[in-house]
Amino acid sequence: MTTPRINFKEIKDWTIDNFFGSKLGILLTLFSALVITYFVLSMISFLSSAEWEVVTTNRRLLLLGRLPEEDTWRAWPILWLFCSIFCSSIGAWGNPKKRELLLLLLAFLMPAAIFFTLPYIVHIFATVLIGSVAYISSKIIRRTSYIEILKKALVSLWILIIPLSFTILIVGGGPQSNLWGGFLLNILLASVAVVAGFPLGILMAVGRATKLPVIKTVCTVYIETVRGAPLVGWLLLAWFVLPKFLPDLFGLNDLSVVIRAMIVLSFFASAYIAEVIRGGLQSISKGQLEAADALNLGYIDRMRIIVLPQAIRVVIPAIVSQFIGLFKDTSLVFILALTDLLQVGRIIPEQDPKFFGKQLEALLVVASLFWVVSVVLSNLSSKIEKNLGIGTR
Amino acid sequence: MKKIKYTLLISALFAMTAFSFACASEDSSEASSSGGSNTLQQVLDRGMLKCGVNDNLAGFGVVAADGSFSGFDIDFCKAVAAAILGDSGKVEYTPTTASNRFEALGSGEIDLLIRNTTWTASRDRELKQDFTAPTFYDGQGMMVYVDSGYNSIDDMEGATICVLQGTTTELNLDDRFTGTGMSYTPLTFETNDPLQAAFEEKRCDGWTTDKSGLASKRASFPASAGGPEALKVLPETLSKEPLGPLTRDNDSEFYDVVQWVVFGMMQAEESGINSSNVSSIASNPPNPGVARLLGASFEGGEVQDFSFGIPKDFMQKVISQVGNYGEVYDRHLVPLGLERAGSLNAMWTEGGLIYAPPFR
Amino acid sequence: MKSFVDSVAQWSRFQRNRNIVIQAVFLFFVTLLGVYFFVRASGLELSLSHFSSRAGFGLSHTFLVDYTSNDSRWVAYFTGVVNTIRVCLVAIFLTTLLGTVMGVARLSKNFLTSKIAWTYVEVLRNTPLLIQIIFWQIVFLQLPQISEAITFGDTTAISNRGILLPWISDNGNAQVWFIFLGIVAAGSLYLSYFLNKREDVSGKSFSIFGNRLNGNLAGISLFVIVTIVTYFAFGRPVSMDIPEITQNNKGTWMQSGGFDLSPEFAAILFALVIYTGTFITEIVRGSIQSLSKGQTEAAQAIGLSKYQAMTLVILPQALRSIIPPLTNQFLNLTKNSSLAVVIAYPDLFMVSRTIMNNSGHALPVFFLILLTYLFLSLCISLVMNLINRRVTRIGA
Repeated sequence: MTTPRINFKEIKDWTIDNFFGSKLGILLTLFSALVITYFVLSMISFLSSAEWEVVTTNRRLLLLGRLPEEDTWRAWPILWLFCSIFCSSIGAWGNPKKRELLLLLLAFLMPAAIFFTLPYIVHIFATVLIGSVAYISSKIIRRTSYIEILKKALVSLWILIIPLSFTILIVGGGPQSNLWGGFLLNILLASVAVVAGFPLGILMAVGRATKLPVIKTVCTVYIETVRGAPLVGWLLLAWFVLPKFLPDLFGLNDLSVVIRAMIVLSFFASAYIAEVIRGGLQSISKGQLEAADALNLGYIDRMRIIVLPQAIRVVIPAIVSQFIGLFKDTSLVFILALTDLLQVGRIIPEQDPKFFGKQLEALLVVASLFWVVSVVLSNLSSKIEKNLGIGTR
Repeated sequence: MKKIKYTLLISALFAMTAFSFACASEDSSEASSSGGSNTLQQVLDRGMLKCGVNDNLAGFGVVAADGSFSGFDIDFCKAVAAAILGDSGKVEYTPTTASNRFEALGSGEIDLLIRNTTWTASRDRELKQDFTAPTFYDGQGMMVYVDSGYNSIDDMEGATICVLQGTTTELNLDDRFTGTGMSYTPLTFETNDPLQAAFEEKRCDGWTTDKSGLASKRASFPASAGGPEALKVLPETLSKEPLGPLTRDNDSEFYDVVQWVVFGMMQAEESGINSSNVSSIASNPPNPGVARLLGASFEGGEVQDFSFGIPKDFMQKVISQVGNYGEVYDRHLVPLGLERAGSLNAMWTEGGLIYAPPFR
Repeated sequence: MKSFVDSVAQWSRFQRNRNIVIQAVFLFFVTLLGVYFFVRASGLELSLSHFSSRAGFGLSHTFLVDYTSNDSRWVAYFTGVVNTIRVCLVAIFLTTLLGTVMGVARLSKNFLTSKIAWTYVEVLRNTPLLIQIIFWQIVFLQLPQISEAITFGDTTAISNRGILLPWISDNGNAQVWFIFLGIVAAGSLYLSYFLNKREDVSGKSFSIFGNRLNGNLAGISLFVIVTIVTYFAFGRPVSMDIPEITQNNKGTWMQSGGFDLSPEFAAILFALVIYTGTFITEIVRGSIQSLSKGQTEAAQAIGLSKYQAMTLVILPQALRSIIPPLTNQFLNLTKNSSLAVVIAYPDLFMVSRTIMNNSGHALPVFFLILLTYLFLSLCISLVMNLINRRVTRIGA
């Protein structure tokens, strides 16, 4: 019997190979070590002097904005819904390694720890529980033949989640939309923009890919105009252009600024999504089109049955990336004086004399919240990409 | 493949329902915001006053951890709500920035803008908005570090000045410096927090805004940067800054209510009526003037109703729920070190400008 | 006799005719929408005539434009446009460099180096740019205050009012000299190209005093010699402009001379470069990885060093697939520069916001902003398309 022994030679080889392989290697190692030491030291010195009271006092403001106390409960079902759908999707499609699941849990628990308060420990615990139950049960269902039904249900749930969240927010006389704020607002804005921008994006992409010159021109002009100017500029549109240009029907010209921001963001997102989908359309091989011709399919059928389903499949990762980009960009609604997460982070140090000069603490927490969501999603997108086998030849 | 088709269809459908849901939650009964609107009726129908405020200026408007607002300007929002709706809590606050506040009022996002806004000719004319009675007489000042040795703005040749964008201060500053042939560098910020950060690190030599704002910022200056003692506000006043509430143009009923609520609070102070004695005075007014102000009957005889479109005892509710002008001032501005005596904001009987036209 | 309906049906059976009908209907609705907007807009103030009135506000950064508050709003706006172009050009150059270096570092065999590049991308790509801009503003404000500015031998001064670097100042005919130098530079480049080409093709090289004449060396030395000679021939057209920090009689610290890298400019520049750099890193890494491994091995087999293999073989090939996504990033960078509004760098967006507020006519200014950004985007796209065409042609 041989006991496993540490192979010193292997370690030595690996070390030399990775750190001191050549003159350049030594130089790089030294330089990198310097950089790392500098960052670690400055991080330690910051963290040791940081005071987090400014954040802990304002938890609710950061997460939910000025949502009234009596409406706070509405946030939890939304989180649970998100969590259960997300986890069971992983269970149904993904093959996560243990390490990745652990990271996911950590990614969730990190903000939860920042915002940990005694009354909410049950809620946080429930979130974790719901997530794991959803994951495990869909793992079990996966072994049975019901998995196809589950998958279909999940797909429709993903589409339904936005209207469902809205319903939860609104049902039984919920808070006015201009009280939505904090992190909730960032998530809502980005989700609505992508979901609502998606159909328009498809139309624009198809329009740009047609051979009909008029439609092509109009779509191209739309896409390029929207993409040509910065989002802060377009958001200004929500302030003073939309109320003047929307028709007087159904109180459309009297929407709250949150809803107007959603409209602008949706149009903005649609142009970017259109470009992504156009990329997907171009990836469809000519043979497919010829095959469709051979079946004597019309243009609409060809698009609907053959081209779009494939193109959309291909671009799912890119759409997730768009969502991440848009999600980060929702922080620009400060220009509309909406109190999103970042805006809250910027105003809370003004609140009380003991918080003055604590901008960095607030910014760091805000940044880490954005970061967690973006990282989880971008990992997800690269996973999907690998599963679809794009990018590998 | 069919699945995808339905997916698309459903997603389009739900995007639309999502919006309609969201729209449904808004008050869609309101009339168009442009043209001769009747905001008073809208507020009454809605049962809620939409007030545009500052969320970032200690003393005038700050937001607390529970999401509630408080401050001098906020109290005037509450007073108007108390007058129209009988409840000072029925206010929906919308935080605005210096540069988007007029757009907010013009677009109908808010009914009333009370955000230390200066009354100027061009704003009155070009913004299609009306200023009601000033609630606070301010003047633009300059705050510098004590150790800079500046005693007057004339000493500040070549200085770098921090200023907020979208305010008259930016223009007054330029008038003051170019007018006297001095050079200067303005650093123009969109919001207050990076401006304060820059000033704390002495990126700029001076910070100019309304003196009330400066007092508020000075009082809250962090100890890490020297605390309030490290700063002084130069005596010179760069401009007159009468601050007051704004309503939209051609909205005279609402305008009148806002204006006379403000005047009423001033008159109440002059007549010695405050939140603690208002109910006893209302039940037994000492003279017909007070009775008219409070809409109470005087020795059994009904007094004149001013027909503002709201109950005639509106000032009783305002004073009992919010207080008179002096109480509001003492509550929010005295803690900042803005002494009232001897300033423009003293009662006219004491040499100030706080003067209400007669309630008659 | 065929009925009218039949003939229409027959006519529309032809693909071409049907297309015309579809487009006509489409055009009708688009026009309807256009007319609606036009009618709505006609009631609004859309003229830009107020732009010719006096601006009345100062600007902290006036690069190349001699702006004072007495100039018209047009001049103020133009100053903003120049400021935007300035920060974008510098940022595009630097972010390309950073992205390339990090992209290569990401694939480095050195464990620490590749992990640093990985952390850089993962952390900074996933946080909003706005936070990063505010962060960099705070960082640059931590530089010493001007009364305690760090100076290096009286030529450079660093404070949180700005990093002052020595620069050159015009003594009269500097412009003529610069144009002349430009021509000389072009000549030197051609000389190097000619010599190198000749050596490549014929294997023969010029030699001076028995030493082989290196093409690059010849070009550089030609340029240097001509520069020095003409510097005196033109009567010293430029001189060093040494920056200075002084205190005037009232105690105000004044910066004068030299090149002033202000903290606001530096903050927006750093934020844009570092944020966009993360995306470029991923683009560079992706396209290097898409090249087959054989390329590196082949390059090493013919005796090229690692550095040579990278710069002569890998990167030029990767360039072809890099440029289209790179163009997108440059466009994003340009648009993102509008976020300078939060830290007091007067770019075109900020100046137009100020004008909007002062004039009360928001809508026409808004359209002007849109058009300007569209124009800038168009310029970048055109230049990048030219480069792309050139790069792909070389490879083909």
